[in-house]
Amino acid sequence: MPPLAIEVRGIRRVYSAKPAPVVALDRVDLHVAPGEFFGLLGPNGAGKTTLIKILTTLLLPSAGTARVFGFDVERDTKKIRRIMNMVAGGEQSGYGILTVREQLWMFTQFYGLAGGDGWRRVDELIEAVGLTEQRIQRVSTLSTGQRQKMNLARGLLNDPWILFLDEPTLGLDVSAARSLRELIVDWKRAVPGRTILLTTHYMAEADELCDRIAIVDHGRILAIGSPDELKRRVQRESIFRLELDHLDGGVATLVRLPGVVSASEAAGAIDAATRQTVVMNLVLEDDGVLGQVVGALARTGSEILGLRKSEPTLEDVFVELVGRGFAESDAEAAGKAG
Amino acid sequence: MAVSATSAPVPAPARFDFAKAEGNGIRDFLRTFAVAVRLGWQLEANWTDPLLFFIYSVAKPVSSALILVVMLEVIGGPSGRAFRPFVVVGSALWSFVVSGIAGLAFSILEDRERFRMLKYVYVSPSDFLTVLVGRGVARVGVGLAGAAITVAVGVVVLGVPFDLGSVNWPLFVTVFLLGLWSIVAVGLLMAGVVIQTRQESWSYPEAFAGALFLVAGAVFPLAVLPALVQVIGLLTPLSWWIAGIREALFPGGPGSIGGAGSVFAGAFGHAQPGPLEIVLALMATGAIATLGAVAVFRVSDRRAKQAGLYDRTTGS
Amino acid sequence: MAGIIDLVGRAGIGPHEAADWSRRQELMTDLRSVRGRAYPRVIGLAREPSWVLFEILLPFLATAAFVFVYRAIGAPQEYVGFVVLGGALTAFWLNVIWMMANQLYWEKSQGNLELYFAAPMHFMSILFGMAIGGIVMSTTRAATVLLIAGLVFGVTFSVDQWALLLGVFLLTLAALYGLGMVLASLFLVWGREAWHMGQMLTEPVYFVSGLNFPVARLGFLGALSVAFIPLATGLDAMRQLAFTDAAFPLGTPDPLLEVAILTVMTVVSILAARWMLITMERRARRDGRLSIRWQ
Ligand SMILES: Nc1ncnc2c1ncn2[C@@H]1O[C@H](COP(=O)(O)OP(=O)(O)O)[C@@H](O)[C@H]1O
Ligand SMILES: [Mg+2]
Repeated sequence: MPPLAIEVRGIRRVYSAKPAPVVALDRVDLHVAPGEFFGLLGPNGAGKTTLIKILTTLLLPSAGTARVFGFDVERDTKKIRRIMNMVAGGEQSGYGILTVREQLWMFTQFYGLAGGDGWRRVDELIEAVGLTEQRIQRVSTLSTGQRQKMNLARGLLNDPWILFLDEPTLGLDVSAARSLRELIVDWKRAVPGRTILLTTHYMAEADELCDRIAIVDHGRILAIGSPDELKRRVQRESIFRLELDHLDGGVATLVRLPGVVSASEAAGAIDAATRQTVVMNLVLEDDGVLGQVVGALARTGSEILGLRKSEPTLEDVFVELVGRGFAESDAEAAGKAG
Repeated sequence: MAVSATSAPVPAPARFDFAKAEGNGIRDFLRTFAVAVRLGWQLEANWTDPLLFFIYSVAKPVSSALILVVMLEVIGGPSGRAFRPFVVVGSALWSFVVSGIAGLAFSILEDRERFRMLKYVYVSPSDFLTVLVGRGVARVGVGLAGAAITVAVGVVVLGVPFDLGSVNWPLFVTVFLLGLWSIVAVGLLMAGVVIQTRQESWSYPEAFAGALFLVAGAVFPLAVLPALVQVIGLLTPLSWWIAGIREALFPGGPGSIGGAGSVFAGAFGHAQPGPLEIVLALMATGAIATLGAVAVFRVSDRRAKQAGLYDRTTGS
Repeated sequence: MAGIIDLVGRAGIGPHEAADWSRRQELMTDLRSVRGRAYPRVIGLAREPSWVLFEILLPFLATAAFVFVYRAIGAPQEYVGFVVLGGALTAFWLNVIWMMANQLYWEKSQGNLELYFAAPMHFMSILFGMAIGGIVMSTTRAATVLLIAGLVFGVTFSVDQWALLLGVFLLTLAALYGLGMVLASLFLVWGREAWHMGQMLTEPVYFVSGLNFPVARLGFLGALSVAFIPLATGLDAMRQLAFTDAAFPLGTPDPLLEVAILTVMTVVSILAARWMLITMERRARRDGRLSIRWQ
């Protein structure tokens, strides 16, 4: 059996800090298969970067073992470094005085590409990430989005088997983040076996990109699974969002139906002031109950303007697991840092 | 990091105060300035650290003077010996000049490259210029101690004759303050330059100061220079500052401006300038230097804003 | 998108084969890394020409100031040559302080250090690359100082052994930049304090190295400098070889002995730099100090 792309066993990492040591990772176990797109999702300070640093051979674990494609992160550093690369959000690496092309070429040298091969690789990647117009522009003059595309190109220079992405879309606007995500997905899809470990604290990003996700908080992995699996855990009932032209007798008429757990008028619905439509959240015991609800509505003469099943989000999963929201966690982390 | 010192030590107004919101000219300026001086002090001139004190106020300035003293010794002879007080005092004053000039420029480089703070300092309402000058002034304190220690070493160890009773104090104070102004102006000029240049500009301010060293008459009289270079020296406020401090500390001692065959003597008909002439020349050249420096800084600042230079890092 | 999809380097090779490099591949990567790191420095030379003014012309004027000190006291002409040679070598020394010793700390705050460590080359390649780029920079400067000084002050050299002089020069560079490599690792560990140590290496070291005068004049202190500071050793050897006609004060060793000292310095410093890097990497990985956290 070929080795796992990532195999982490009982990793613990403690930073010595004032006033007290910080336990950044605690008894973490993780298995990622070759070819997986794996996400670490967690609030600031959860320990995501720490885990990436350990896997990229930049940091030693305080206890436990970690392997990348079977190579030990403590002993086989050189081998790991040959087949991996990493890109972090907000990265300012390189030298502002160089052009995009020159900067990327410089990095090809650190991976031992012959001079001419290096230039060819650089030009291919520049085109692929869409920086052709900026290729002879100085690095110091790039916008944040362009800069991050260049950083991604840098991360692909050595054609890594495993790519570590540490909050790669941090600080990017919506469209720049989207185009970066598309690049990442395309790159991964092009060759089977390419593996990505991505950290993020954007739920939607993890949901969209990852085959599997580990939810981390306070240095512990709380749950691992595909986005759907994780969401199913919190989804015990079916929730629908229903829009009607009118509803005689109000929500009470629906609650009386068998199988309806609750029905409540949604706050802040469109046209609430003029009362032209009625919007409500409907919680049913399962999807099958929906037929009876629709039938009942038809009998009262209400016209259904819209019906949408509300999916639970990873946010719901996180709240369920941790007992608090993501934003609160970030605020807490910020309070600690300040 | 000592950055928390930027929060001004003023209690927040209990209710909204329009005068404060609009900015209160001179009061705001003074407050910003005071905070900047304190910030500079904490960042650069931490005198509670004996090692830093030793490096900046003892080792560097005294070594500079010793280099010159040994040069005179190597040649020996009466002309060399007679020259020693001149050289020691000039070198001491010069180390003060360098710390003042480098101070402002280092603030720019340091904030940009190390703390990545420049863009934040810049967008804060406190006037950027005030912050810079304030931090530069803090470094001047270090330079002042260095100059004093070098002179003391000169007097005690190297036999430089010095009579505290004969010091012309009014001249000293006048010239010192006017000169400080000029030094800050030259520092500002360098700050304007390094905004435009790249990360490895650490040596630029000292290089510029080194070039002024040639024309300021710090360690040899201007008279030995080619006439054209002498003229440049006469237009530099630092030359007059050094001449003035020399004259105040050692009244009637050998001067650096004039002398036999000098441009000054040729133009004005007497060998050395008197105290009044020095003060007037210092004021005039200082004013020109200030105007020039502010202009350069403003132009550089505007260009930097347009080109987004404040938040770039530019090493190689 | 086509670019990324087509970009299947080493087609058909799995991660294990890709991680298995030959000796030659390893060596070539180290050599190319030297080239890669030197590259931005050489490019930077042409790109931001302000250095011509600030690193050649203005320092030349500062050197000229010392020439006029000698002129003011009527010193013989060869002392002007001493000053000029000192000024030229200072170019390398300043480069070692600002662009070697202080560099790694800056690279760390920039995030480059991490990427260098995460790449497969030996970190010594980075140091060599920095040094070679720096040497290109400062050689330009030193040559210009010598040339202008020759023209303006009429400095004439009297050399008997050109080959030896050239050899001493190259050895001096090797020893200087070797020291720079050691300092780079050391300063990285010291962090921001190191910047102040860099200041300690300017005027005080100039003085004990005999910047503008024969270091022999400093007696025992001078001998110590020749034994331990490559700037002093190289300067003294080059002065002896470049001004054979000068009435040289006795007291410092023969140039050949100084060649031996420089060789030892070079070897020791490169070994020390290697050892320090390995130690530093291990410690930094243990303590989590390869990067500065800005957030
Ligand atoms: N070098 C360090 N020294 C001390 N504490 C650290 C260091 N790096 C990270 N930490 C602490 O470890 C915890 C995890 O940090 P990190 O791995 O960066 O989290 P994340 O990437 O999930 O935001 C945080 O509490 C952080 O403050
Ligand atoms: Mg992180």
